[in-house]
Amino acid sequence: MMGKTIDLQIRRQDTPYSPPYWQTFSIPYREGHNIVSALMVIREHPLTQEGQLVDPVVWEFNCMEEVCGACSMVINGKPRQACSTLIDSLEQPIKLEPLGKFPVVRDLMIDRSKIFSDLKRVRAWIEIDGAWDIHRGAPRISPETWKESYLYSRCMSCGCCMEACPQYGMEKAFVGPAALAAVRLMNNHPTGSYHQQQRLHAIMGDGGLSDCGNTQNCVRVCPKQIPLTTAIGELGRQTTLQLLRDLFGKS
Amino acid sequence: MRTASIDNRNFLLRRLHSLFGLLPVGGFLIFHLWENSQSRFGQLHYNEQVVGWLQSLNYLTLMEIFVIALPLLFHAGYGLVIIHGAEGNWYRYPWLHNRFYWLQRISGIGILLFLVLHVGWTRIWGIWQPEIKADLFSHMQLLLGNPVTFLLYLTGLLLAVFHLCNGLWTMAISWGLTTSVDAQRYWFYFCMLLALTLSAMGVHGMLGFIA
Repeated sequence: MMGKTIDLQIRRQDTPYSPPYWQTFSIPYREGHNIVSALMVIREHPLTQEGQLVDPVVWEFNCMEEVCGACSMVINGKPRQACSTLIDSLEQPIKLEPLGKFPVVRDLMIDRSKIFSDLKRVRAWIEIDGAWDIHRGAPRISPETWKESYLYSRCMSCGCCMEACPQYGMEKAFVGPAALAAVRLMNNHPTGSYHQQQRLHAIMGDGGLSDCGNTQNCVRVCPKQIPLTTAIGELGRQTTLQLLRDLFGKS
Repeated sequence: MRTASIDNRNFLLRRLHSLFGLLPVGGFLIFHLWENSQSRFGQLHYNEQVVGWLQSLNYLTLMEIFVIALPLLFHAGYGLVIIHGAEGNWYRYPWLHNRFYWLQRISGIGILLFLVLHVGWTRIWGIWQPEIKADLFSHMQLLLGNPVTFLLYLTGLLLAVFHLCNGLWTMAISWGLTTSVDAQRYWFYFCMLLALTLSAMGVHGMLGFIA
């Protein structure tokens, strides 16, 4: 290949149960490439550096503006969103790996259903009404509460915080930082606070809040700058008070 | 209503593990370092005023068992259970608190090994050799006079102080004392300052035996 190139080393895996292997691809340099657009170029001509024609690399992407969380992968050792990671900001050769904490489906595509089952485990939703219309408007929220909650509402379940967490893994019970931050968000919502106790009891069980090891890696890798460690501290206080209520009765 | 915090022992055990690390275990470490920092006042003062006073306390053995030994054993034992769940990422994330997460676990194991030697050489040995109890100053002088044991004690001391102070930092988040970024940062500065102070006190005490 002539001229300046972009070199990508990609960790590939053909099936969920086959062993992984590495392949290197070179594409012509173009200004403004991000990882997704570079992978698209490779997909057009899946030719390795050795000139071997291979199956196109499989990966997931969707919104292309860092709000859907689908294109998470490990880029040069750190979990990031492929769409918002610019090639010009990276050292070459660029190493792409699937998130290591989730089962690989194929190449860079992973199965993140554990994230959603963990969100269900901690009751990360708000029951607005039942099977009938409750004829009540949305509750008012102070601008301060709204401002704080907005930070947490940006979570896109991308899995980066779980990837960086030494306490999180497929075989481990820990629900991970994102699910905890979701509990913090729902508990502080006027309607969501009705079920605060159930959520706190959920994170006081196996794999809950106390499995956090306080490395604070989560808050450093979060692509949405969500104050995950503040959420963990606030839940620490909420669970401490809940423990007192459980042991000694309500205030 | 059945509650997870009471029915599921996981949460209570973790909080007990956290609490015991500070009280009584951490508290005892601070007392122990203060107590032995008085070695500089000489053999007579140390043996009579420091060790002698402690040994004259009523119910001393009961206190040693229930205030020191059992909480320490629980903290160590459950700590080993917690360590079991960690997944290696020392190289990938070279950030301070990630490194400290690993150091906290490594120091925990290190302290446990050190304590077997330390308690064995002093308290346990003293059961069969009353001379050790009677003149602990000379016994410590002999032990710390050996550069290998001195280094071993220095390592044990620094690991214990680090483990307590970093534990104090994480404990504040776990219990919900510090939640904001600033609170966590300033509390960290305080904990590290405490680590420096306790290390200085401990080294001072060690040097007092061999000066």
